[in-house]
Amino acid sequence: MLRRGLARLVAALALIVAAFIAMQLPPAMAQEKKIKIGVVFDLTGPFAGGGSELHNLGVKIMIDYVNAHGGVEGYKIDPIYADAQSKPDVAINEAVRLIEQEKVDMLLGFFSSAECVPTAARVEQYKKFMWITTCIASPVLENRHLRYVFRAQPYGTQWGLASTAMLTAYAKEAFGKDPKDLRVAIIHEDGAYGVDVARGNAEGAAKGGLNVVLNEGYSVTSPDLSSLVTKLKRARPDVILHTGYNPDISLFLRQAREGGLRFQALIGHGAGYTDYNKLKASAGNDVNYFMDVDPISIWDVKPEALQPGLAALTKMVGEEYKKAKPDTVMLSAHVGMAASNTYLFLSQVLPRAIKTYGGIDAEALRKAALDVDVPEGGTLLGFGAKFEPEDSVMAGQNTRAYPVVVQYVDDKAYVVWPKALQQREPVLKLPDSSPYAAK
Amino acid sequence: MFDIYLLEAAINGVLLGGVLALLALGLNLVFGVIDVVWICYAELIMMGMYGMFYLVSVFHVPFLIAAVLSIALVAMLGVLLHLLVIAPLLNAAPINQLLATGGVLAFLQALATVMFGIDFRNLGIRMPVIEVSDMYISYARLLAFGTALAGMVGVYLFLSRTYTGTAIRAIAQDRQIMPLMGVDSRRIYLITSAIGGGLAGLAACLLVLQYDVHPFIGLTFGPITFMICVLGGLGNMIGGFVAAFVFAEIISIGGLYMDLEWGYVFAFVFFIVMMFIRPRGLLARNP
Repeated sequence: MLRRGLARLVAALALIVAAFIAMQLPPAMAQEKKIKIGVVFDLTGPFAGGGSELHNLGVKIMIDYVNAHGGVEGYKIDPIYADAQSKPDVAINEAVRLIEQEKVDMLLGFFSSAECVPTAARVEQYKKFMWITTCIASPVLENRHLRYVFRAQPYGTQWGLASTAMLTAYAKEAFGKDPKDLRVAIIHEDGAYGVDVARGNAEGAAKGGLNVVLNEGYSVTSPDLSSLVTKLKRARPDVILHTGYNPDISLFLRQAREGGLRFQALIGHGAGYTDYNKLKASAGNDVNYFMDVDPISIWDVKPEALQPGLAALTKMVGEEYKKAKPDTVMLSAHVGMAASNTYLFLSQVLPRAIKTYGGIDAEALRKAALDVDVPEGGTLLGFGAKFEPEDSVMAGQNTRAYPVVVQYVDDKAYVVWPKALQQREPVLKLPDSSPYAAK
Repeated sequence: MFDIYLLEAAINGVLLGGVLALLALGLNLVFGVIDVVWICYAELIMMGMYGMFYLVSVFHVPFLIAAVLSIALVAMLGVLLHLLVIAPLLNAAPINQLLATGGVLAFLQALATVMFGIDFRNLGIRMPVIEVSDMYISYARLLAFGTALAGMVGVYLFLSRTYTGTAIRAIAQDRQIMPLMGVDSRRIYLITSAIGGGLAGLAACLLVLQYDVHPFIGLTFGPITFMICVLGGLGNMIGGFVAAFVFAEIISIGGLYMDLEWGYVFAFVFFIVMMFIRPRGLLARNP
């Protein structure tokens, strides 16, 4: 009798202990299912400091957040971070390694367009899903009809079109000139990114009737840009449209100042111009009143313009960013961009693939991505999301994404274009205090 | 018609030539004496630039003292490079020596990434600009140009007027015989490595005034410095000096009249053609 009672007691205790253990299991252990995501950015090499490392941080913040909140539809996100070392060949090799050896389910990230163009084709050959958070060059997708590659970002030509559209609109008001008399110089790094943005600049200038006095590329590792400065002095542009990474931007600005180059406005196009902290560390107050084209910083989006819940996420990303980099002067748009584009995948594509298409294979993810229909205000970046189908010229491109023009004024960034999102009127003539100001 | 922009481009070419000549000087000296190419030469310069950055910007050491310390630091790195990597491979096949210094290149890049991070750093020093008519001449570049000239003269005087310099030249002429005549070749190699490193340190002190430093800054200078040394004749210091100015002028003036990239295309085509016409270097005497 006593023995039976003891056995019952032990059994009951065992049940209680088992239930307790089950309750104490962290969500990660409780979930058996996981999606392995290879995250590829440049963590070393010149692109790392040019913004890539910040994008990696944005992705990490968002993945950690989603995992801490139970994952997606019972799946834990298992990221494997890889370093493309600012080299296209390494980016391809890392993508292949992640697919073949790490057996990832998909790839996400990619900063440099020079890496993106060949890597996208390679990943497509493996029939793996690739979600591009960052690189913008049109040739990544244009006329390639890739089935498994999707890009949440706007594409490069849009950058060039945004700055020239603003100049066309403000030519008379700000410069007192007809667009045809406004002298514009387009200078760019000669990789896929710079060439594509410059193409947009040229297209936009032609459309607006602006007078392009110089259109020239240069190598990002060039040890000397003084010839370019001399040519710009000869061309006497009112406005310089510049697309570059970081070491080349600081070299250009330094040599332009030393070479006596004068202009009325400078508009950068993402990458090195978007990381204000590094730009200022490099060129000091000279960058005051410079402008930059990129998707809006998530911290500049009006909370009331976003769908419910997104503003809290924006706040969370900012807090985590400051924890990771406490010495940050201005929250860089780079981090927000990557966080938003990652969240778009985790909140719109992945759950749909699991629920509607029964899994996380490339085909399910592709179908889910094509079903995405997010209206304006549905992402942290403010824009919506809808992807071009396979038969489109830009298959896989988010058609609802767009960049804005911001202006740096006294260590703050203000959206100055398009008008609908404008936080202040642009100052299109550098003040006399600027060493570059045309007197 | 007088074109002031052409004149400015030509002057910029001369100033760029000064920077490149300074870079080539140490590399040529080392090759001429030890017969080993330091592929990692630009990375030694990078370490010197970091030395300058930390001494001046972080520890607030006066610039000139920081420059002396940085030159000493890179000279020491040169000696260490010789002792740890070159000396054990002195009699190895040239390809092994190249691969070993290539390994040091990757090591130094990785070490700098780990130690200093990926950020771009600069001293924040703004040198004045000399304005003549509509032309602007960078003082920092002028300084590099003057230092390159002074460095060249200094190395020449050292090699021609001192006992150690004579021994270095003698070793450069015949590595096998000189030890038999009582010259301690090991000591000469160490002195040469220290001078080569010191010249890299000197270049670092001047480059840090013109460029941001980051772990991969060597990629900007390494290949072009190596090409200039080859164009001038590896080990031929005067040849390297002349080649630096020829190269810089082609880049500068070519870039003014055509797309910037064409300046480099012409410079590289010139290099290839000269390799056929004068494979031993611009100033080499025909055998």
